Amino acid sequence: MKCHSSHTNKRNISDGKIKILLMGNPNVGKSVIFSKLTGVHVNSSNYAGTTVDYTIGDVSFGRQCGVMIDVPGVYTLDAISEAEKVAVNLLKEGADVIVCVLDATHLERNLDLAFQLKEYDIPIVYSLNLVDVAKRQGINIDVEKLSQELGAPVIPTIAIKNKGLIEILRAAMKLAEEECVPGSKLTDEERWDKIRDIVAKVQTRVQKKKVTFIEVLEDKTIQPWPGIPLALLVLAISLGVVVGGGKALRAVVLLPLVKDIIQPALTNLVSLVVPEGVFRNLLVGDYGILVIGIEWPLALILPYVFLFYVVFSFLEDSGYMPRIAVLADGVLRRMGIHGGNIIPLMLGYGCAVPAILGSRVANSYKERIIIAALVSFAIPCASQSAAFFALLGDRSIPALVFVYLLSVLVGLAVGTIVNRIVPGKSQPMLLEVPNLLWPDKDAFKKKIKLRMKNFLIDAEGPMMIGIVVASVIAETGILNEFSKLIEPLVEGWLGLPKEASLSLLLGIIRRELAVLPLLELDLNMLQLVVGSVIALFYLPCLSVFGVLTKEFSLKVSLLIVVATTTTAFLFGGVINQVGRLILGAM
Amino acid sequence: MMPLAFGNKRSKYRVVKLPDSHLLKALGLRKGTEFTLESKHPFKGPVVVKVGCRCIAIDYDVARDILVEEV
Repeated sequence: MKCHSSHTNKRNISDGKIKILLMGNPNVGKSVIFSKLTGVHVNSSNYAGTTVDYTIGDVSFGRQCGVMIDVPGVYTLDAISEAEKVAVNLLKEGADVIVCVLDATHLERNLDLAFQLKEYDIPIVYSLNLVDVAKRQGINIDVEKLSQELGAPVIPTIAIKNKGLIEILRAAMKLAEEECVPGSKLTDEERWDKIRDIVAKVQTRVQKKKVTFIEVLEDKTIQPWPGIPLALLVLAISLGVVVGGGKALRAVVLLPLVKDIIQPALTNLVSLVVPEGVFRNLLVGDYGILVIGIEWPLALILPYVFLFYVVFSFLEDSGYMPRIAVLADGVLRRMGIHGGNIIPLMLGYGCAVPAILGSRVANSYKERIIIAALVSFAIPCASQSAAFFALLGDRSIPALVFVYLLSVLVGLAVGTIVNRIVPGKSQPMLLEVPNLLWPDKDAFKKKIKLRMKNFLIDAEGPMMIGIVVASVIAETGILNEFSKLIEPLVEGWLGLPKEASLSLLLGIIRRELAVLPLLELDLNMLQLVVGSVIALFYLPCLSVFGVLTKEFSLKVSLLIVVATTTTAFLFGGVINQVGRLILGAM
Repeated sequence: MMPLAFGNKRSKYRVVKLPDSHLLKALGLRKGTEFTLESKHPFKGPVVVKVGCRCIAIDYDVARDILVEEV
């Protein structure tokens, strides 16, 4: 690739901004570089017509401004997988410069993409990242020589420590002014031969003296023993952080804030302005919009969702998640999905919507149906879990454990059944297991911020609608009419007080709303368990229904709705009847 | 020569024959690639191999179709 200076003819500098594509293999530290170079305004977008999301941020260097696009990580530009198609499309749309991130510990494979990028007429600057890790592993790369071979600047970087990043930006901004002649097209074999030659020329390896702790950990976590017990321990700790931390946040900070400061203040204020009656009750009654509308989302749900995303992002960014995938593969295969799908399933414990959308990447229709069924049926989302913790956590830990155990057992059954009845093939697992590393602070913060933002936009809206509906039907007496209608089901079969029908009504809107109204009722242990089990399997929320319909079909989503609701009433009723028999006999 | 799925942990192998898979190639597993078998998993779980400094988990059934020889 030969580049020469030219000040005309720049296609992509629209509104004066330079367009930079950040590209590279997966797991090479691309996102870390992205979060270090971009400012506060970062947005995640979906690439039209695909399932792949990419992130855009603003960058500036001196007086030059630009936008940087974090292109999904790919190994090649064959345009076979969804991510590759997006990468190729973004390249075809054109850009002023590419920053291509190379992993110094795996130069040979990374150069494959590097050479494929050279076939486009966009200047490239290479970031040779992870040079510190490579050095520790005894790998030495002659940057000068590599730069000559690639015909483009190569800058060694340690993204996580901010080393070399300014140089990358400087080189990128300079190259963006230049024009570029695409390199000649090579066949796969020619390219691989060339890469082998180059690696032989630029890379030297020395035998390392000692094995580091992190390498021992990397090895142990990928062996069945002690990897599986370790993974269970990690998951238990994660759960402890979310449940314990969430409870502490709620009890120490949020509940006092809401109950002692915000709610009394609002109640007083409203009492001053609004005369006594239905309207005042609507606002600040027991189910008043301003009472539960603030307490439920802020004090009950938010702490758990936040901590869930902290833990989940940590497992993701540390490179531990793919190890769980490897360990879980044997079990998930029984359900017709490969181990890699543990990631959308775990994400489902946060929210079902991204879990179902996330399952689109590199999966067959059959696998996606299995994942969607599992997530809708048996995986409680973070909001729902938060409601369970609030309902059962203070009363009975065994009951809480029972509900989650039941969810896992039903999940296994659902997976096995759907695998049997849905025709089609499942993909085999082929997965790179990245090195373990301590997540970068900036990238981590940005990720959580983005996830929380999405949660607030996607979830709090419907939740507020649910709460408004709750207030209206509870405070106006509509609820009593509905309760009478379904009394035989609620009181007779399920053994719950008739007010619990509010849960069933609201559960249609959001999953946690099937649980939260139970908090306000004075329930005995058996009723609590029955209520929780119903809420666990009850309808997926409105947003999930929408996603299921969009992703599959109305038929599939209706089928899932009927199946989950039937399961909910079946299990809830059976537990109630059996529980009464046992309690009566005692 | 034998299928990768029957290999032993910690042994070194070279790929002799492998199915034509886009992803296998992309992950750096080609004819002649040398690697170490890192771990095998119960219930026909994946075979994990180390190519250079990177680990790749390969589905059991795919690992049965990859023929390797010990180095």
